Amino acid sequence: MKELVKSGDLGVDLATAFDASPNPYMLVTPDLRYAGVNEAYLAALDTTREAIIGRPVFEAFDAGPGEEGVESVRIVRSSMERVLATGAPDHVALVRFSVPVRDASGAVSHEERYWSASHTPLKNAAGQVLYILQHTTDVTELERLRQRAEAAVEEPVSALEAIVGGNVLERARRVQEDNHRLSVERSRLIDMFMQAPGFVAVLNGPTHIFEMINPAYAQLVGHRPVTGKPVREALPELKGQGFYEFLDDVFATGEPFEGKESLVQLQHTPGGPLTSVYLNFIYQPVRDGDGRITGIFVQGHEVTANVQATQRQKLMIDELNHRVKNTLATVQSIAMQTARSHEDPRTFAESFQSRLMALSHTHDLLTRSHWEGADLAEILRHETEAHDPLRLVANGPPVALGPAAALSLGMIFHELATNAAKYGALSNPDGRVFVDWSVADQTDRRLTIEWRELDGPPVAAPTRRGFGSRLIERNVRHDLGGEARLDYAPAGFHAELSLPLDRGHD
Amino acid sequence: MTQALEGRTILVVEDESLVAMLLETILEDMGCATLGPVSTIDEALAVIADGSAFDGALLDVNVAGKEVFPVAAALKERGVPFVFSTGYGEGGLPEEWRGHPTIQKPFTEDAVQQALMRVLGASA
Repeated sequence: MKELVKSGDLGVDLATAFDASPNPYMLVTPDLRYAGVNEAYLAALDTTREAIIGRPVFEAFDAGPGEEGVESVRIVRSSMERVLATGAPDHVALVRFSVPVRDASGAVSHEERYWSASHTPLKNAAGQVLYILQHTTDVTELERLRQRAEAAVEEPVSALEAIVGGNVLERARRVQEDNHRLSVERSRLIDMFMQAPGFVAVLNGPTHIFEMINPAYAQLVGHRPVTGKPVREALPELKGQGFYEFLDDVFATGEPFEGKESLVQLQHTPGGPLTSVYLNFIYQPVRDGDGRITGIFVQGHEVTANVQATQRQKLMIDELNHRVKNTLATVQSIAMQTARSHEDPRTFAESFQSRLMALSHTHDLLTRSHWEGADLAEILRHETEAHDPLRLVANGPPVALGPAAALSLGMIFHELATNAAKYGALSNPDGRVFVDWSVADQTDRRLTIEWRELDGPPVAAPTRRGFGSRLIERNVRHDLGGEARLDYAPAGFHAELSLPLDRGHD
Repeated sequence: MTQALEGRTILVVEDESLVAMLLETILEDMGCATLGPVSTIDEALAVIADGSAFDGALLDVNVAGKEVFPVAAALKERGVPFVFSTGYGEGGLPEEWRGHPTIQKPFTEDAVQQALMRVLGASA
C-alpha cells in the first residue's frame, strides 16, 4: 500500500493508518485483482499478503458453501463492476460471507458472518478508475439480533432490538434485495435490447442524440460510431428523406410515428454508396416521471427481402397476365383467320386444333428450358413428328433460339409441314422434304433455313394466298425481322427463310 | 355505323404478327386501311417522323419488351388520336396515360371499333 497511497504533507503514513484500522480494507485493480489489503482484512480471511496480492479477488475469496455463497460473490462482484462502469461509489448494505476461524488447537472451521461493504473508485487526473477501495464492516452481531427478534416475535423485545432487528437492518436488507432485483431486471432488459432480432435505438433530447443502439441497429448503419451524436450528424445521408422531420414531430407532439415498408437510402459502409432498404419501424416518445418527452425509442426491422419478393411476385403476375392475354389474342387470331378459309366446321376444327397443338408443342419445349429458349432441330422434330422421319430429312448445326423466335418457327414449321402433307411432297408415297439450315457470320449471325420438297405431285401456285403462307411471310418479316421467299416451282415447293439471330429482345 | 370509320387509315403497332393480322382483318372489315403494322418502337417513330398520312393509331403497350409510351407522346404532339391495346388491364398504364382509351386483349371487333370511334370523334 505504501506505493499506492501518498501521505502528502500530513506527516502521517496513511498505509500504516489503514493497517491499524479494525475494519478490513482492500484495494482492487480494474481487472478485479488484489492490489493491497490491510491487516484486519488479512486476519478476517486468515491469509497472508504474499498469498493473495496480484491474485483475482474472486479466486481467493470463498463465501462458503451452498447457493447463497455464490449469490454473495455475485453481489459483491456486480457492485465493483458498477463502480467501474459509472465511476461512482457503490454500496452493498448486507452480504453474507463465511470466514475461516482457527481454534486454540489451530484447526480451521468456517463461521458465517454478515458484512456491509462500500466500494469507492480511486481515479487518476483523467478521471479513469485506477483502483477500487473496499471498506467492509462486520455487522454480524446486528444481524443476529434481528434474526432472534424475528424468530421470537411473541417474546417481548428490547427497544434496541426492535430498532435494530425490526427496522434498520431489515430496511437495509430490503434495499439490498430491491437493488439486486432492479439490477437483475435492468440487465435482463439490456440483454433483451441487445439480443433483439430487430434494430433498437434510444435517442435523447430534441436533437435526437443516440444514447444506445443494439447490434442489429449498428449493422443497419454500417457499424458507424453513432452513440453520443445527434441523428443529423450521425446519419447525414438521411437528409431530405423525411426521417429527421418525423423524429422532430414525435418529439414535439408526443405522437408515435409508424413507418411501414418505408424506403430508406442508407450507407451500409461509411462513405460508401447509398443502399436502398425497406424498414418497418416505430418512433415511440419516451417520457420522464412528469410526462415530459425526453427522447425517442426507435424499434423496427428490415423488410427489404419481403418487399422485393412482393415486387417480384407482382412483376411475375403482370408478366404472366401479359403473356396469357397475348396468347389468347394469338389464338383468337388463328381462330378468326382459320374460320375465313374453312367453310366446313369439321375442316375448320381440324385445322384450328392442329394450329393450336403446334403452338402448344413449342410451349412445352420452352417450359422445359424455363422459357430460356429451344433448339431449332428440336422445334422442327416436334412440329413434324406426325410425318415419316425418313421422308423429312433435317440437317443443320445446333441453333439456340429465344422464346419468341422459337414460337414463330414452331408455327412456321407447322404450316410448311401441313402444306406438304396436303398438297406437296408428303401427300404422295414417294416425295421427300429436305430441311437444311446454317448460320452465317459469327458476329452478326444470320440464320438461313431452306425447305425443299422433291418427288411430290406437280406443283401449281395457289390461286389465293391462304392463311398459312401469309402467316409464314408475316411471321418471318414482322416477328423475326427476316425475309421469307416462297417458291411454288413445278418440281417442288421451295421456301427460303433468312433471319437475324441476335435481335436482343426475345 | 361502320361508315364513320370508312376510308380512314390506322397505324398498327404490334409485335406479334398473328395479333397484327387479326387487327388488320378487323380494320379491313370496318373499311379502314392499315398502315404498317410495325413491330418495334423505332419503326413506329420513323413512320411518325417521315410524315406518313394516317388518321389514328392502335398501340400495343408492350412492344417486344419495350413500352410504347414514346410513340404515344409523339402522336399526342402531332395531334393524332390513338388507342392503347394491352394484356395488362387498366392498371397497366402509368399515371400519365391512365384513363386513355384502351382495348383489352383478346379483343372483340366491337371493342376495337368503339375505341377508335371514340378517339376519332366519330359518333356511332
